[in-house]
Amino acid sequence: MYKLLDKVFGIVIKLLALFSLLLLAFIVLFIFKESVVFFKEVPVLNFITGRRWNPLKSPNDLSIFNIILGTLYVSVVAIIIALPIGVGSGILLSTYIKGKWKIVIRGIIDILAGIPSVVYGFIGLLVIVKFFENTLDFSTGESVLAGGILLSAMVLPYIISTCQETMDKVYEEHSLSSKALGISKTYMVRKIVVPESRKSIIAATILALGRAMGETMAVMMVIGNAPIAPRLLGRAQTIPSLIALEMGMAEVGSLHYHALFASGLVLMIMLLIINIILYYIKKGIGI
Amino acid sequence: MKKSLSIFLSVLIIFSIILTGCTKEAPSGTTGEETGNRETANESINTFRAQMTFNGSSTLAPVISAIATDFIEEYTTWDKVDPSFPAENISIYVSAGGSGAGVKAVLEETADFGMLAREIKDEENQKIGDPKEFKLGIDALTVSINPENPLLKIKDDLSTEEVKKIFSGEYKYWDEVESSLPHREIVVVIRDLGGGAHEVFQKSVMGDTEVREDAIQAPSMGALVTKVIENKDAIGYASFGMVNQNIGKLIPLKVDGVEATKENIVSGSYKISRPLIAVKKGELTPEQQAFMDVLTSEKGSAIIEKMGYVPVK
Repeated sequence: MYKLLDKVFGIVIKLLALFSLLLLAFIVLFIFKESVVFFKEVPVLNFITGRRWNPLKSPNDLSIFNIILGTLYVSVVAIIIALPIGVGSGILLSTYIKGKWKIVIRGIIDILAGIPSVVYGFIGLLVIVKFFENTLDFSTGESVLAGGILLSAMVLPYIISTCQETMDKVYEEHSLSSKALGISKTYMVRKIVVPESRKSIIAATILALGRAMGETMAVMMVIGNAPIAPRLLGRAQTIPSLIALEMGMAEVGSLHYHALFASGLVLMIMLLIINIILYYIKKGIGI
Repeated sequence: MKKSLSIFLSVLIIFSIILTGCTKEAPSGTTGEETGNRETANESINTFRAQMTFNGSSTLAPVISAIATDFIEEYTTWDKVDPSFPAENISIYVSAGGSGAGVKAVLEETADFGMLAREIKDEENQKIGDPKEFKLGIDALTVSINPENPLLKIKDDLSTEEVKKIFSGEYKYWDEVESSLPHREIVVVIRDLGGGAHEVFQKSVMGDTEVREDAIQAPSMGALVTKVIENKDAIGYASFGMVNQNIGKLIPLKVDGVEATKENIVSGSYKISRPLIAVKKGELTPEQQAFMDVLTSEKGSAIIEKMGYVPVK
């Protein structure tokens, strides 16, 4: 009886797994199919290296180099801001705080990950952008920096949780012996905990980069959406915000419509590369 | 044993869901596309449907939604609209996704009506095949600035040429528009370049000139208006309806001396305007006709006007 059940259960699980795999395959296939129509008209290289995006003009004006740059720029700014804070919080949680407080603080950080991105965007618009405009007297607050600050808050939970997992392990492993040797906690953190967990810090960075690049709503609300070469205090556009902004208006079946799918494909490939790197790093550290 | 029973039941449920999904899919797949379409069209006329869906322009969506709410509150069930209809609850769903999405929804028959805040293009007309078009109102795009902008003290009028220069980036600072103004950067806010509003603006003002590349693209008309309300140096093409909903918070300028008023928009002397249209593929069912009659009635027009747009009548 139980053998039969085991078998049925195994089959069901396999079917469900297959179903999710098929789902992914269909999504990829669909985006690819819609993009191919565009790439027949505009060569891939032109699309990726061209600097102009203007859907009202000729097909050659649909190219996304600036937008790719914008996507990377905002994400990198976010990582630069979030990494020190994230690693710091990771160290704090794994070595200095114990017991109830640790659970409470982790809980609060996990809530950060659960806040809908449109809420973040709204806060960004009302707080960060307004601050730039009113206090710092920018002509407009919409900028790469605003997007970066906002995104850094959004990717923080991912960095903290990835770092903390490893740091916990490292600390547990060495705390007894370092206490026996009479080494101070700071010395131990600097010489053992941080170096030992550097691979997981890299993994966290890449994971956060992937998340930041795919973020749509919050970024769209604070970044100004101008497809120009991005500057830190200037406006920019990211691929997700481009798609979200223009998909509703694009005429079905037009070149513009297919170009948006093509830019989605580019983003997907970029994320795929990042995930492959993440896979190898994870394999390297053996999490 | 209880556990195994629950596992067995959950498996059963999953398979039954998958299988029913398949059977529903099958008929439309087996019939030819042409006949399939005709069949569904006939079906929708013969069988009564208490549900109606609208999808498309984010400008028109709140208007239809307001009229629909009114309609539902007044009648509740269909038999009160017309005694020949069955006594089913009226439900009208409105979702906004842009004019392009409206056309798409009609084409793919995911919605009964598409809402557009621009003319239907010829290619779209051809694709739909048999479109029924209902012009509900007119919206104008006003060139609006923040009330704190010092330009207002000097004049409330820009020529098309000036608007063109501001939006194309030839004038980068306010003191280039008028030398007495402070040397502050002009913040141009537009809607997305591929969208309906921008298309109208491009056609009626910009012509072949391109909008400056670093203009802020607002994700919605609401966001555009908010930006102008909050930024002293901003200028953007706020929709007439939005301006009327935010009187005093942003100031529409005259263009070539013509003010954006109802009369000027209807007569066409204010040139930056666009129609608000509902589109349907094929014939209307009686119940759809009933709602459309309300949309185009005096009462519907009154709501359209209350929302800040110009009714056709």
